[in-house]
Amino acid sequence: MTAGDQPGRGAEETVMQGLLRVSRAIDSLNERVGRSVIWLVLMAVLISAGNAIIRKLFDTSSNAWLEVQWYLFSAIFLLASGYTLMRNEHVRIDVLLHRLPKRGQIWVDIFGFIFFMMPFVLLMIYLSWPVFTRAFFSGEMSENAGGLIRWPVYILAPIGFTLLALQSVSELIKRFAFLKGLIDDPTRRKVEKTAEEELAEAIRAEAERELAREEVEIGTAGRSLK
Amino acid sequence: MMAFIAQNIAPIMFVGLVCFLLLGFPVAFSLAACGLVFGTIGIELGLLPPTLVQAFPLRIIGIMKNDTLLAIPFFTFMGLILERSGMAEDLLDTIGQLFGPLRGGLAFAVIFVGAMLAATTGVVAASVISMGLISLPIMLRYGYNRTIATGTITASGTLAQAIPPSLVLIVLADQLGRSVGDMYAGALIPGLILVALYLGFVVLVAFIKPKWVPALPAEARIYREPNGASGHRSLLVLFLVCGIAGYVWSKVHQSVINPLVGRQLPAPGDEIFIMSMTVASVLALVLALVNKFFRIGLLSRLTEQVTFVLIPPLVLIFLVLGTIFLGIATPTEGGAMGALGALIMAGGRGRLSKSLLVQALDNTAKLSCFVLFILVGSTVFSFTFNAADGHIWVEHLFDNMPGGAMGFLIVVNIMVFILGMFIDFFEIAFIVVPILAPVAAKILPELLPAGTPPEMALIWFGVIIAMNLQTSFLTPPFGFALFYLRSVAAKQDYKDNVTGEHIPAVETSQIYKGSIAFICLQLVMVAAVIAFPTLVTGGIEQAVQIDADKALQSMTESSNAARDGSAGAASAVPGGPAASGAEGGEKEDPMKGLLESMKADEGKKP
Repeated sequence: MTAGDQPGRGAEETVMQGLLRVSRAIDSLNERVGRSVIWLVLMAVLISAGNAIIRKLFDTSSNAWLEVQWYLFSAIFLLASGYTLMRNEHVRIDVLLHRLPKRGQIWVDIFGFIFFMMPFVLLMIYLSWPVFTRAFFSGEMSENAGGLIRWPVYILAPIGFTLLALQSVSELIKRFAFLKGLIDDPTRRKVEKTAEEELAEAIRAEAERELAREEVEIGTAGRSLK
Repeated sequence: MMAFIAQNIAPIMFVGLVCFLLLGFPVAFSLAACGLVFGTIGIELGLLPPTLVQAFPLRIIGIMKNDTLLAIPFFTFMGLILERSGMAEDLLDTIGQLFGPLRGGLAFAVIFVGAMLAATTGVVAASVISMGLISLPIMLRYGYNRTIATGTITASGTLAQAIPPSLVLIVLADQLGRSVGDMYAGALIPGLILVALYLGFVVLVAFIKPKWVPALPAEARIYREPNGASGHRSLLVLFLVCGIAGYVWSKVHQSVINPLVGRQLPAPGDEIFIMSMTVASVLALVLALVNKFFRIGLLSRLTEQVTFVLIPPLVLIFLVLGTIFLGIATPTEGGAMGALGALIMAGGRGRLSKSLLVQALDNTAKLSCFVLFILVGSTVFSFTFNAADGHIWVEHLFDNMPGGAMGFLIVVNIMVFILGMFIDFFEIAFIVVPILAPVAAKILPELLPAGTPPEMALIWFGVIIAMNLQTSFLTPPFGFALFYLRSVAAKQDYKDNVTGEHIPAVETSQIYKGSIAFICLQLVMVAAVIAFPTLVTGGIEQAVQIDADKALQSMTESSNAARDGSAGAASAVPGGPAASGAEGGEKEDPMKGLLESMKADEGKKP
């Protein structure tokens, strides 16, 4: 890119806007995936609890129901990886990081996405794909009686890492766009409220309702005295 | 230069890891990158086999299949739902009333409820926030010393880490290759002793500085009888009756249960304890219900209130811990049942909305994802590290340690304590623990009392680490319990809405100071567990045989639990050096492990 001259800057602007459109598309994809994947948690809870209860009550169990639990579990953590990255929820050791100025932090991320993240996710996609294709073409089944076919769970790894790779590209675009002053700080959490804040709010609201109720009671008691 | 790298690849890799992590990029990917970079260097220098990376997909499939870790989303979800179910608020209100008339009573209530929440929700944030919003204003209103008040709250909140079913114990069990059930059983008694230490501390304060922990004045007690009595006597009577019933049950438990489940061995202590508690509390509930519906009027309002409020958490504790200790459910299933129980309870109280559900699911999915990705990253790292003989290097580091095994424990604990100030317990469990585990497995058994199966050593080690990690929530600069309390404690002076008095703001320094005494108590407990391994092993010695039964059962049921099976097999032969040796060997020789897992994979293909 020729950042120096005038027409070049215009071209750069267009490229950047185009990239931001790509980034938004990836974000909305991972948002949608994430929003759907969370329901698998509930499914896993119900299946696991149901399976335990049925096994105790009727003394029957099937390997399919046991295996579907780890299928769901794999789907949860692999498919949500891009979503989690977008929400900036992969934990960091920020002892030094938060001492850096904002732009420094952004550069750390840019460095990390290019040199840490990309090689890792690309290698993982490259390595996990054949595992899936082998299982797919051989029709590999679980070795347990009544177990499930394997390829649907093996394909989760390449899909999950692809979502993660896409999200890394999107995050990278956003970091560059921020440095150019095109968008707001992308590292600020987009969540409206954390679970902790909501809990505190709920308890406070409850206390206020309680107080209001007591005041009404005292008020009516006072009136009846008059 | 090349020769230098070749000879010192393990220490260089370790230093590299520290640099990569300190950079501040997400831990999961820094770990993986570190593994890959040094893996590439190693392969280029001919130190590592080029086939190294081929093993990664198998490792990832291994993580996907890991059904111990499946307990993480279940317990997380359970905690997130429970914290909003109103259970904590009810407990704090009622138990506060129960102990309120005593000096130090509110602090007792906080500790007691902290322990109950720890055994159910297991979420530090939730406990601290609930107590900070409900108990702290009351404590301040009636003139509690601020350091004591804040310290009790933050410390009681962190009990969630040490008392089963905590996530730390699950992760540690997984990383140390032990069963979660054993880890829970081992952690139970030290956890309860820690609660006792906290209570003892408050008693001490109540005697030495009565003004710091005043009793609730009469007008603040809400469950009074029409005749003005507090209603404690009737509660005491009910408590005694139920206590006796529980005690009697503990004596006959074995003769009743063993024929039912067809067991020959004596029942383990924790099972008897949990079942006796259950019998006692069910009796209390039945009596209270009878009293209420037939309007007998034998029980006071306070008694009824306490009974009803205590039942939901006790039922949950039974549902989760009881079923796990009894061997009815695996920890994973226990977690799922607990989560279902939490949903039912929140629904029953009308607290379960779609937005709450979505939020809990969302947080659970994100937490599971980041935890599992740290594990993926650390697997890539430790696989390369071990292939480069890093584990041998670590072992040599501790060879010249003064004090041998004891020296190792002390150094490790100091290190974990310091690391805990700066990094999260998940990172410590996934990065530091696997590096130390082989050394621990080798040298710690000598510290156990004679006759203890050597594989107990790692459970003991795990409980020590878990106890130690609990302090990480209280130590500045990154003590999360301190942060949570700060976020809900009054930042400005306010007028109390009951007495109308002016209450000064809670200062951050008061919160920090408050935690010091409790950090000391926790360290005393860490030292006690180190000095008396039987505190841990005593709780599980008998349970081992049961686990073997369970392992056999699950092996016939599904052979995919090969991992658990081998752990079970190791514990089936107490003191069987062959079994534990085989397991250690698998960890120590990654290439052998790689070949084995590849073979296993070949075998899987039809």
